[in-house]
Formats: sequence, C-alpha cells, structure tokens
Amino acid sequence: MATPAPTDTLDLAARFPGAVTPDTRPGYTGWVVTPEKLLEFAQFVRDELGYDYLVNLCAVDYLPEDRMEVVYNVFKTTGGPGLTFKTWAPRKDPIEIPSVVSIWPGADFQEREAWDLYGVRFTGHPDLRRILMWEGFEGHPMRKDWQEPFYDEDVKPFKRRWPDGKHVYAEKRSVYGDNVYFKPGFDPEKWTPTDPEEALYKSLKKYKTETSDGIETDHIIVNMGPQHPSTHGVFRAVVVLDGETVVSLKPVMGYLHRNHEKIGERNTWLQNMPYTDRLDYFNSMTNNWGYALAVEKLMGIPVAERAEYIRVIMAELSRIQNHLILIGMLLNDLGAYFTPALYAFEERELILDVFEAVSGSRMMCNYFRFGGVVRDIDEDSMKKIRDLVFDRLPRKIEEFDHLLTENEIIVSRLKGVAPLSAEEAIAYSMAGPMLRASGVPYDIRRADPYGIYDRFDFDVAVRYNGDMYDRYLIRLDEMHQSIRILQQAVKGIPEGPISSQKPSYTTKVPPGESYGRVEGPKGELGFYIVSTGKPNPWRYHVRTPSFVNLTALEKMCVGTKIADFVAILGAVDIVLGELDR
Amino acid sequence: MDWTLFLEWLIKSLIVVLMLLVGFAYLTLFERRVLAFMQVRIGPNRAGWQGVLQPVADAIKLIFKEELTPGQVFQPLFTLAPIITVIPAVVVAAVIPWGPDVELFGRTIKLAVADLNLGTLYVAAVASIAVYGIVLAGWSSNNKYAMLGGLRSSAQVISYELSLALCFVLVTLMAGSMHAGEIVEAQRGLWFIVLQPVGGIVFLIATLAEVNRAPFDMPEAEQELTAGYHSEYSGMKFALFFMAEYIKMIAISAIAATFYFGGYREPWFLAGTWLSVDVNWWLGPIYMLIKVTALLFFMVWIRATLPRMRYDRLMAFGWKVLLPLMLVLVFVTAVGILAEAWWLIPVLSLAAGAVAVFLVNQALTKKWQRR
Amino acid sequence: MLLEYAAIATMILVTALVAVIAVVLGSLFGPKRPHARKLLPYESGMTPIGPGTRRVPVRFYLIAVLFILFDIEIIFFLPWAIAFRELGWYGFWAMVVFNIPILIGFIYEWKKGGLEWE
Repeated sequence: MATPAPTDTLDLAARFPGAVTPDTRPGYTGWVVTPEKLLEFAQFVRDELGYDYLVNLCAVDYLPEDRMEVVYNVFKTTGGPGLTFKTWAPRKDPIEIPSVVSIWPGADFQEREAWDLYGVRFTGHPDLRRILMWEGFEGHPMRKDWQEPFYDEDVKPFKRRWPDGKHVYAEKRSVYGDNVYFKPGFDPEKWTPTDPEEALYKSLKKYKTETSDGIETDHIIVNMGPQHPSTHGVFRAVVVLDGETVVSLKPVMGYLHRNHEKIGERNTWLQNMPYTDRLDYFNSMTNNWGYALAVEKLMGIPVAERAEYIRVIMAELSRIQNHLILIGMLLNDLGAYFTPALYAFEERELILDVFEAVSGSRMMCNYFRFGGVVRDIDEDSMKKIRDLVFDRLPRKIEEFDHLLTENEIIVSRLKGVAPLSAEEAIAYSMAGPMLRASGVPYDIRRADPYGIYDRFDFDVAVRYNGDMYDRYLIRLDEMHQSIRILQQAVKGIPEGPISSQKPSYTTKVPPGESYGRVEGPKGELGFYIVSTGKPNPWRYHVRTPSFVNLTALEKMCVGTKIADFVAILGAVDIVLGELDR
Repeated sequence: MDWTLFLEWLIKSLIVVLMLLVGFAYLTLFERRVLAFMQVRIGPNRAGWQGVLQPVADAIKLIFKEELTPGQVFQPLFTLAPIITVIPAVVVAAVIPWGPDVELFGRTIKLAVADLNLGTLYVAAVASIAVYGIVLAGWSSNNKYAMLGGLRSSAQVISYELSLALCFVLVTLMAGSMHAGEIVEAQRGLWFIVLQPVGGIVFLIATLAEVNRAPFDMPEAEQELTAGYHSEYSGMKFALFFMAEYIKMIAISAIAATFYFGGYREPWFLAGTWLSVDVNWWLGPIYMLIKVTALLFFMVWIRATLPRMRYDRLMAFGWKVLLPLMLVLVFVTAVGILAEAWWLIPVLSLAAGAVAVFLVNQALTKKWQRR
Repeated sequence: MLLEYAAIATMILVTALVAVIAVVLGSLFGPKRPHARKLLPYESGMTPIGPGTRRVPVRFYLIAVLFILFDIEIIFFLPWAIAFRELGWYGFWAMVVFNIPILIGFIYEWKKGGLEWE
C-alpha cells in the first residue's frame, strides 16, 4: 500500500562502515548500530534522512544471547514507512547506552521506562529516574531473569495452578513465600514513602526566588494527585507554584502499574487480546486492532474483507465516543459542573450499546482476532449503527459545537493557552490530536495506512495554533471526519466471512519482530512484539499515546496558571490504564 | 423597653433563622434536582416522595460521621471558623423586609428582624465579614490547598466587594434612602432592574462572586484545589461551611430581590388589584418567596451551564471592568436624577454597558491576536 | 433606633447557638478513630513537603491595599447618595472633583501593572 521511501535503498552500512550493519536475523528488519556511533547515526537519520519523529523506543532482553537490545522506531512526519534501528550492549551491569534525548526529546520518558524496567543506563539522559516503579525498588522487573514474589513459571498456563485439574491461587499457596525478600529491619506495615520522594523533589527547580526589588516570596510545592479529583485517576504531578503560576512541574506515574508487558509476555498470543482491552479502557476496540495488526504483520496473514469494514466501523465509533468524553471531561476540568460530560455520556451509551450487541461487553470488548473479528454484526446492530451514523451522531456533534465552541468563558480559558509549535510537537513525539492541533497533518491512517483506510475519502484534521482551543477544536474536526469514514464504511460493507483463520486457542507465530501502529483516538498506539516461535511472545511492548504525550506536559505547563494545568492535562487525554500499564 | 419587645425580636429571629435553615436544607435538594434535570438524569428521589427526606438523611449522616481534626491545625480557630462563617451568612438577612407592616395583637409589627435605616450599609458591612471565616479556615488548616483557597477567596471577595458596594450606592441614589423598606416602596411603580438594568446585572454577577458560586467558585475550585478552604473539614464542621454557602445564596437572593426586583411588592401590573400587597399583606412573603426562588434557580442554572473563569481573569474582570463601569453608572444615575429625566437612566446605563462589552471584546481580541 | 441593633444581637445569639449545637452534636455522635496517617494534612495522599502556610505572593497584599483605598472612596459615596437630592448639582460636581485624584491613581496603578495577574 505505502510506497517504499527512497531512503530504504540507501546503504547505511556504507555510510557508517563498521558501526552500522543490517539486521539479518530471520524475521527482523532494520539496522544494528554500535552504541558508540549511536548518536552520530541518530543525528544523521534525523537531519539527513528526515526521520524527525521518534515514535517508539523500547528495550528487549535477549537472555539466551546475553544481550540487551534497545529498539528505535523512527518515522517521517511527511509520511511513509519508518526506519527501525537497534543498538545493543552485553547483559552485564551497568548496561550503558547513549541517550538520544538530545536528538529526540520525546525519548525522555521512554528511556526512563527502559531504565526502570530493564536497567539500561542511558548516559547523558538529563533526569534518569525510575518512572513506573517507585524510587528505591530493587531490580528491573522486565528482565527475563527477574522473578516476582508469587513467581510460578515463565509462561502461562502455569501447570502448578492446576495440580489435579483444580486450581489453587498462587497467593493462597504462599503468603510471603520463599521468594519474598525484605531488607533487614524493614517492616512493610510501617513503611512510609518519604525517602523515594527525595530524588523527585530534587529534580524540581529551586523553590525560592527573589524579585528585583528584593521582596522574597516562597514557592510552594504542591502535590496534585495521586488522590486528586482532576487528575483523571491516580496520576500525580508535583507542582512548584509561585502564587498561582506554575514554576516547575514533574509528572509522577505508575500508581496503576501492573507490568502489563511482563504479564503480556507470560500470556499466550491470544490471551493478550482481552488483556489489551485494559490498556485504554475507553477504546478497547482500537487497542485490539493495534495488537491484532502487529501479530498479523508477523504471521503474514490476510484479514477477511468484511472484518476489515467491521474493524473500521468499530474503531471510528470508539474514536467518536472517546472524543465526546474528552470534550465533556475537558469542560469538567474547566469547572463546568458535569453538564457537558453527561451530555457526552448520553451519546456514548448508545455507542456502547452497539459494542455490547456485537461483542457482548460494553467496555472490555475483546472483539478482534488474528485475521478478523470474533462475531458478525447482526442486522439489528447494523440498523442501530446506521441510525447513529447518519442521523443522531452528526446532529449531536453539531449540538456540542453550538453549545460550547463560542462560549466566552471557554474561549478565554482555552485560546492562546499552552501553545506547542509544530517543531516542538514533533520533537516531543506528540501523537494524534495533540500533534495535529499543532499544525502537523500526521495521521497514521493516511501517512502509513493500515487496514482499509486508503479506500475511504476523508481529510486529515489539522489546526495550526497548537493552543488549548485548537486541541479542543481538533476533536470536533476528527469526529466529523470519523462520521464521514463511518458513512462510507456502513454503505460499503460487503457480505462474507468475518475471519480468514479458523478459530483456535493457539496461534503459531513465526520468529521475528514487528511493530504495528494504529491511529488511536488518543494518538499513536503501537505494539512492538518479538516472537521466538513459541506460544508466548518473547517481547510485548506497548507504545501508548498517553505515556508519550505526557513528555511535553512540563514544557506546556510551566508559566501557566494552576487552573490551566488541569485543563492541559485534560486535553492531553490520558487514561491511567495505558499510562501506567 | 418591655419584655414583649424582646419576645418579638426573639420570635422574629427564630423564624428567620429557622426559615433559612429549612431553606438551606431544601435548597440543596432543589439544586440537586434542578441540576439533574438539566443534566439528563434523575437526581435524588429515593428518600421520601421525590426525595423530600433527602436533606434529613444527609443531616443525620453528617452528624454520625467521624470528625477529623488533623494534627497540624491551629485548633481554636479551626473549630471557630465554621461558626464564624455561618453567623454573617444568617445575620445579613436581618434587614430584609419580608412584607409590609402588619397590625397584630394591637401593635405594629415590621416583617424584618431589624428595621435599620442604614439597610444598604449594614448589608455591605456584614457581607464583607463573611470572608473572615473562610480565610481563617484556610489559614488555620495549615494545608496548601486550603491556604490557596482562603487567599483566593479573600482577594476575590474584596475585589467584588467594591462593585457590590457601588451597587448599593446606586440603589441608595435611586431610592433616596438606605432603608430597605423604603427602597422596596420606592420600587412601587418601577423595579430598579428596569430603571438601572446594567447595575442590576453587575449586582447579580458580583453576588455570584461574593457567595463563591459558579462560575466564580475559585476558593473551592474542585479541579484545582480539591475542596479549597474546607479541605480539612469533615462531619458537622464541614456541614456548617456548606450551610453557610447555601444560606448566603438565599440571603443574597433575598437582598437582590429587595434592592432590584421590587422586594415583597407585587409586580407593577398587579397594582390596585386584590393581588396587591396593599390589600392583602400576607401576599408580601409569597411574592418574596417566588422572587427568591427564581433567583436561586438562576444561580443553579448558571452553575449547570458555565465553566469556571480562571483566577487572573476573574480579578481582572472585577478590577478593570466592573469597578470602572460601576463608577460610571453611579454618575450616570446621578445625572439622570438631577436632570429629572428618569428615562435617561436606563438609556445611559445600557449605553455604558454596551461600551464596556465592546471594550472588553476589543481587548480580548487584541490579546489573542498578539499571541 | 439603637434598639434595632439589639434585635440583630438576638439574631446573632440564635445563630451562634445553632452553629455551636451543630458542632457539639457532631463531636458527640461521630466516631473517633484517629490514625497517624489520617491526621496528616491532606495533599492528594502524599506527605506534604514544607509547611502549609507560607509567605504568599506580594500581589495579594497589593490587592488588599487597593481594596482599602477604594472601599474608603465608596464609603464616602454613601452619605453623598443620601444627601444627594438636597445637595443637587453642587454635590454632584463636588463628588466628581473628589473622584478625579482617585481616578488618576487608578489609571496610574493600571498602567503600572498593579492589576495584572498574568
């Protein structure tokens, strides 16, 4: 579908002799770079080849080969396929790899994540602290040789849980079992998290300034979250305030961390499908698609024609309901007392009715399968969808537009607040509506098409000011475009089978790697998976838009008011399920 | 002074206090039901018929809740602050006349707790005391959110105090008296909201800011400051703050009704009929109740509709827009009265309002273009 | 007339009584199960760093000072409003003249950025 870019033919190995070699492992693509030349190579790739947009950075632990690999997926914001390159170091502490934050600032959080979970020390990173685990946690849990307290086996199904066909819960079997280790003198009941905070508070800017006329005022450090009404869950931001103005800010996350990726590596390929629902629980359909796409890519299987249409319909419906909720909740963050939010919920319930009818569940849909979807849409649901798409939703989106867009308070609260230029948005790896609101018309559905999006006639919504008001408007624009896609899809959906594969519990995935990316409502949702040919993935990495979009939070918030911080966070559109994973 | 006089005070105070308390209880229910109606949901309807027992259930629940007094607070003020907040909220209603004078038991009874001839001044004074409780609560809590909430509140209330006080000046000018009863009588033919429309609107805006209601609910901006100045309060102490806020709403609605909407008097088109207060004195409280309810509905409606203003904008609006506008309105009204051309007042008032809207619009447009 | 203030005092007493009863009721019937963590100041679930009350930005003091200035001005308006009809145009112009210096101060303060919060 996508035409290969001319740079793919460029021989990078000749440009960097001895430092860059093609990745020749079966099923792998891209280039392998030595850590010493990494920065030079990255600079070259960004400036000379134009891959200005780093979307994914993750570590892979190849325990048998005794190497720790870091994978980079970079793309061009002008569109086209991406470039994958890797660098690796022997699995011996300290594992040191140069940080690319100076080249792509968007690597910031992703490198911290790799440090946190894999113990890859990125030299030159400005603020290399743990991000998902707490400071003071011992070990790096994503490593293949790391074992958790209730460790059973490396992969599911755990045989010991069904000794004679009856299951026993692991936690029942060993409460504080053999592999629970505490430091001497440590009592988990009396532990208070004071020390781990030190590194965090130190990373904030100094909290006392002196004005020119010598009058001193104190800055105050305020914790917004984790138990705060407006952080959309257990997200926490430590804010330094000068009166009402934000002087410095650090996001803290991981309160909902359950090591999704580790569990994902234990699950079998198919078991991960319902598990992706739990990432962004507003858009389980899109999550399913991202994962299915990555696995299908690796398996090299086609998707049934009717299923492709169903996928588009479901993904666009979930985009609409996500954006509706976002607008409603953004208004809540601005202090409107729930009215827009509840108006949005009214429409969302109708969309969830459709989801329930087709998948059996309103939120945790678990609807996609490799090669298709799990159930067909019946005529009744099709009628519901037609009603929604041709009549109700366009009307209601217009209504939102009428009610909110020109409201004086909304305009004055949003316009000109926290602008992000196109260059900054690309540098910080912003994705989805956040990127497009800054004037970068980058939509994966157009730039790197997947599914059957290339068959539909729609425009990439884009706004050019990059301020809060545009971030609000872009959601309305996208809903209009989604309606357009939906109308075409509903008209064009063919009859036929809904899956190209036979239903089965096990999936044979050939060895190799693949990166599947979809344009989720919140931004780019990517799944980087590595298979060794076994029934379980060797590596299962989720690049979530919530997580990466927050990299620019500090940049956007500093200098604004504390009330704006709440709105900015609301417009980034985070969901803690996928932020903390 | 005889004991009957004292009895009269006591009974009148008790009636007003109880009325406000019951009004508070049912205002919470009213607000929840109206909000629910506006938000496509049902609202509390389980406790009693249509939820009429909900306030009772809430009160009982709050009495039996654990009352936390965090370790770091300044105890005396922490306990005193809710009480200090409630008193002015209730007492400000003392001068509001709920009806014309009544002959009962052979004596003339005024349907106001205190018949002060300094009505407007009294209201202005007591309304500004109300902020003390909030500031003290914020300060004594020794909590950052509470502190910020208290600070915001004090700055906001004193800023809008100016516009509010100028609204009282306007009313005094138009009525030629500070006495609440006389102000009502002066509106016999024409409500002041008609005579001075922009003044009335500014008054309504300033009252919203004064009672910390949306879109000016900065001190307890949930999205930023969790619960603002009452973050650390729980149980009945919290209930007192809650009570003070709602009683303030009722009181300030009653004041607005008295000063700008003809108070207990019937609408002008009913003058001379049997629906006039002159004929049946007991219609006075009923008219008052209707007007207060309408104003309260208006406040709830605003809360359901508008997002919150940002703090700096709020302050700028108070100082740069409302204050100059009100100063202009005072002189405009004075000119109208001195020239004995009453039609001049609404015309000039609307003109001043239009100019203000135009200038604000210009300034904002320029600001957005600059960015 | 002063007697009317006694009526207000009665009302204050009644209100205070109600408020005190409410507080006492709450402390009588509510359960008391204090815990070290419960008694910490609330800061979204984190242990706060630094004291809760600190020196606040100068702007708040500025607003307070400005308020006093204008409030006094407005207090002068009230007696004028009462005696306004007797004073007539003379009083009107007197008030205008009285306002001019304050207005100049207001404009000065505006231009100096005393009203800016951004």
